[in-house]
Amino acid sequence: MKKIEAIIQPSRFESVKEALREIGVEGITVTEVRGHGRQKGHTEVYRGREYSVDLLPKVKLELVLPDAQAAKVVETILQTAKTGKIGDGKIFISTLEDAIRIRNGERGESALL
Amino acid sequence: MTTGARPVLDANQGVSRLPPSTAGVLRLNRADCEESRLRIQQSFLAGAGAPATMECLRGLADRCVKEAVQHSLQEHKADGKDFAVLALGGFGRGELFPYSDLDLLFLFRDKRIEQQLQAVVAQASRALWDLGFKVSAAARTMDECKRVDHENVEFHLAMLDRRLLAGDRSVFQQLEDRLLPRLEKLSRAFLHGELRKLTEQRLAKFGNTIFHLEPNVKEAPGGLRDFHASAWIRYLACGANEPMGPEAAEHRTALKAAEFVSEVRCFLHYANGRNDNTLTYELQLAAAERSLGTADGQTGTAAAEWMRLYYRNARTLQRQLQRCLSLKSSAGQTLWQKLRITGGPENTQSNLGKPFVIRNAQLEILECTAFWDRAAIMSVLTEVAQTGVMLSRQAERELAYILSHTEMQANAEELRWGQLREIFAGDYPGAALRPMHQMGLLTEFLPEFGTIDALVIRDFYHRYTVDEHSLRAIEYLQTLANPTDARDLPFALLWKTVERRELLVLAMLLHDVGKGMEVDHHVTGSLSALETVAERLNLTAEDRAEVHFLIEHHLEMSDTMRRRDIFDAATVRAFTDSVGTRERLQRLCLLTYADIHAVNPEALTPWRAEMLWRLYLAATNHLTRSMDSDRLRASEEDSLLEPLRNLTRCDGPMEIERFLEGFPKRYLGVHSTTEIANHFSLYRQLKDKPVQMELSSTPHAFTLTLLTADRPGLFATVAGVLAGWSMNIVKAEAFANSAGIILDTFHFTDPSRTFEMNPGEIDRFQDDLESVVCRNRPLQPELAGFEDHHLVSAPKVSCETSIGFDNGSSERCTLLEIVTQDRQGLLYRMGSVLAAFKCNIEVALIDTEGQKAIDVFYLTMGATKLTEAQGNLVREALEKALA
Repeated sequence: MKKIEAIIQPSRFESVKEALREIGVEGITVTEVRGHGRQKGHTEVYRGREYSVDLLPKVKLELVLPDAQAAKVVETILQTAKTGKIGDGKIFISTLEDAIRIRNGERGESALL
Repeated sequence: MTTGARPVLDANQGVSRLPPSTAGVLRLNRADCEESRLRIQQSFLAGAGAPATMECLRGLADRCVKEAVQHSLQEHKADGKDFAVLALGGFGRGELFPYSDLDLLFLFRDKRIEQQLQAVVAQASRALWDLGFKVSAAARTMDECKRVDHENVEFHLAMLDRRLLAGDRSVFQQLEDRLLPRLEKLSRAFLHGELRKLTEQRLAKFGNTIFHLEPNVKEAPGGLRDFHASAWIRYLACGANEPMGPEAAEHRTALKAAEFVSEVRCFLHYANGRNDNTLTYELQLAAAERSLGTADGQTGTAAAEWMRLYYRNARTLQRQLQRCLSLKSSAGQTLWQKLRITGGPENTQSNLGKPFVIRNAQLEILECTAFWDRAAIMSVLTEVAQTGVMLSRQAERELAYILSHTEMQANAEELRWGQLREIFAGDYPGAALRPMHQMGLLTEFLPEFGTIDALVIRDFYHRYTVDEHSLRAIEYLQTLANPTDARDLPFALLWKTVERRELLVLAMLLHDVGKGMEVDHHVTGSLSALETVAERLNLTAEDRAEVHFLIEHHLEMSDTMRRRDIFDAATVRAFTDSVGTRERLQRLCLLTYADIHAVNPEALTPWRAEMLWRLYLAATNHLTRSMDSDRLRASEEDSLLEPLRNLTRCDGPMEIERFLEGFPKRYLGVHSTTEIANHFSLYRQLKDKPVQMELSSTPHAFTLTLLTADRPGLFATVAGVLAGWSMNIVKAEAFANSAGIILDTFHFTDPSRTFEMNPGEIDRFQDDLESVVCRNRPLQPELAGFEDHHLVSAPKVSCETSIGFDNGSSERCTLLEIVTQDRQGLLYRMGSVLAAFKCNIEVALIDTEGQKAIDVFYLTMGATKLTEAQGNLVREALEKALA
């Protein structure tokens, strides 16, 4: 099993969600987050006040998938989240030891379905 | 859809087929009881109403309790003297739901009897359990009933609904006639307080709202508990007096609503097969399919429509409870306390001859008959909107009574926008709009709002009905006056300074009314509703256009936030192009903030609020910085030229085009067609008189418009004359067209009320201005020592001066932004410095925010941008002048 964490532009979220739904991804956790990588923030001045944007708004997606599905999901996120500009985000992939369905204690990939 | 007659359910249906009991033998058994219950259930499902169903269930339970107790007494050879069994709570009221507990009280004359009959009580309880009842029993001696059990308030509340079921009537009578009257006298104030506390805790547990996706029809606000709590609170506060007048009518309405919710509760019990009162999504569909509670025999109602009915009834019960919660208990008070409550002077503000008064932070009505005039009702609501002091429940009740009796409205006036505008423009419009909606006054003004009354959007995102969403949105806006959450602070600034607030509130009320119409997209419906509203209220074309824009674009900011990169300049440019002016952007931002906030309590996360603010920030800065490059090409403004020709009766289009050519696009955004036509008329008179001026007044300010060929120092000169006359400039704009004709607009207030107190001074002011501007008379006499003889009060909030130059935003000009403490003659000082350096002001935007001045100038020096060195010199001089 793989755990995929993707940090993407908020404006790409709807498209990514739709694309994932189309390839049959059903489980997804979404969090509104702030952060920055190489895309540093900037400062806006409004009526004499400075508003610094050092942490930029992003959307974080978390998915846990069977190994066989992971590559396709990563490719889908890559294609739909990409604008080609700095700040498009990152995808982190990790191998997962186990998954347990709390309701019935089911384990492994079958707990993901 | 099918129709059918509602079956008649005999009150004895539940028990008539049960086998008769004979002495010493309990003939009732579980199967018989279950069969009776099944028959009652079938009757209910065939359409018998809740009252009949509950009556049958009560009849069955009554008989079972009586026989179980009788049988147990006989089994133990006890005569049952000095012992009684009482039904309490819902069972005591005779309202027994299919799977409700049986609340019983075993009452003994004394301790000895209690001990003797312990086995009787145990066996009777067991028998009832065996018959399928869930018994919730308490045992008390008469002595124990004399005391208030502070740890068990619920028991005393249940005792308020009691009746004798079985046993010795003399024991019950002693309790009824001797013990309880004394106990109630002693404990009424305590119980009243505790009940209020319990009720408030219960309501808080459900977020104080009737709007839940899957409401609990018993415990949640708007549930049956509200109805019962209303009755208890009223009894504890006022005794057992029958409700009279408006109160009686309210009680009848609440009774009907309780009957509807009871029917839903019976249905839920049967559908779930247990005492589960949650109206789940699935059961909403099932109830709607049965058209439950509609009593018209129709079936197949849409779920959203049926839930609308549910919420209307829940709202009725909630209001009834709120009215009762506002009752003050007179129990346990001294005579002095009673006198103070009934009319004493405490915390009462002078009413200055008005028919209402503010007492204990609530607005109360003094003379009901004064409100037979509709204008008086509007004046009290205006007071609410302007002060935020809420109507007392009694005042609301009296106004509702008058409004529901048309014969009392002999002086009712025609509805006018002017009346509504006063309310909408107040600092607390929501405080007035909610009671207006409850009293039906809002839909009288805006019948279109009625289409969304209690309208449900069945999804997991929208928590509230559409009317509630709209009212909450306005209430969220007014709370920006005193924000408590850091998330809301930036928006608070916008709310406090927004112009034409009444148009924002009108747009907020109408933005979703299309959801109640059969149209493809609700915005289309809302816009068509606006047309009828505008016609009826006689809105000006400009006001109508502004509200139209807000409704049409009410989703644009949230869509841009969600689907576009708000840090991308192209996104910001495209968005601002559709908005046009900063004033409009400010209103749209507030509307978006409130619209998201009022969807559900969690919808406006700090993350989303920040996204919205960032977009606003980027857009407003873009609008300010792009003004110079964003100029009018008159030939492309066909939609404007035609009405202008009509208004000015000008046949030669070229003249209009020459006038408009090259003004910043903002000029069109901030001036109505009528104003532009007026400016054009002044322009045409320039050949007769080279400086055209016009002074107009509004209720709170004056506007001076100046049109002439550009010349050095003109802006500073006019500002100087205004300063010399002690006028406070709150906003100003300076625009120039391609032909070098400048159009300056100064909005100013008259803090000394010179013009108001001495109308003749207006002419003298205009003469003065003309002689300085047209005949180049020196300005010095006006300004000589004005700083000395004008008292300058210390600012309440200090503001540091910041002076910023920007050579990157405009192709042709240098942007100068000055933020500083507002003060007398500030604009004159700044203008004089710029004139001294021969800076040409291409565009000026002068604004104030409380005691802070925010001024933006687009400058050129010798037709080019300022160099860094020139900028530094100007900065130094400005710093000195503003120090």
